[in-house]
Amino acid sequence: MAKYMIHNNIRKLRFYNNEMTQQELAKKTGVTRQTIVAIENGKYSPTLELAFRIADVFETKLEEVFSREIIDDKTNRIKEENK
Amino acid sequence: MYYQEKKTIASIISGVLILAAYIAYGVSRYLEIGYDLLNDLKFWATAMLLAIGGGIVVTIIIQIIFHIILAVSNEVAKELSKRSTRSGKDETCEELEINSFEDEMDKLISLKAMRNSFIVVGAGFVAALVSLYMEMPPAVMLNVIFAAFVLGSLFEGFSQLYFYRRGIKNG
Repeated sequence: MAKYMIHNNIRKLRFYNNEMTQQELAKKTGVTRQTIVAIENGKYSPTLELAFRIADVFETKLEEVFSREIIDDKTNRIKEENK
Repeated sequence: MYYQEKKTIASIISGVLILAAYIAYGVSRYLEIGYDLLNDLKFWATAMLLAIGGGIVVTIIIQIIFHIILAVSNEVAKELSKRSTRSGKDETCEELEINSFEDEMDKLISLKAMRNSFIVVGAGFVAALVSLYMEMPPAVMLNVIFAAFVLGSLFEGFSQLYFYRRGIKNG
């Protein structure tokens, strides 16, 4: 089975949304700032519910916030990118 | 370092203190009485009950001290923040309030750390059975089980810290 690498544009979206702080985003999505930091740094993949809540805060689609790379298990190469 | 990590460190400290106190008491009594102590199950049961009871009290005290220190440092940071920005916004206090609850990442980390803890407890139980099989005194078996629970609890704390530092993925 191929592996998925999840990327996000949260930092960029925060910047374009009146330079929203991580703390403000955490408050709006009902999680701790630590979780927002972990998601931004790719250390934690949020649940679908939290992912939608983050997208709702930025009033955008989920695909604009998160993207994924499919990495082939055998070749270790990127098969497809969702932008 | 965030609230949950600090809280975990406070738990680890209380666990280490309990284990150290139990070992110090057990070893000192063993040196005093000798091998016969290993056949005195009532003594070990009493020592373990005291360690459990004392452990609960120590954990509560350490958590109270931890929250006092956190509240004081929060007030200092708030004052410094007010002086430097003069915005009047109570951001530090707000941050503490936001970060002092368990969200989905904390729950996932907690579950994975608990799983690691069960592995240690399970291994300890097997080791305890092996000690009986090898015809060691029952007190050894009791102590191995007790140590497995305490070490399991410590391992849970260290696992939590590891997951907070390294990150955690779903699935």
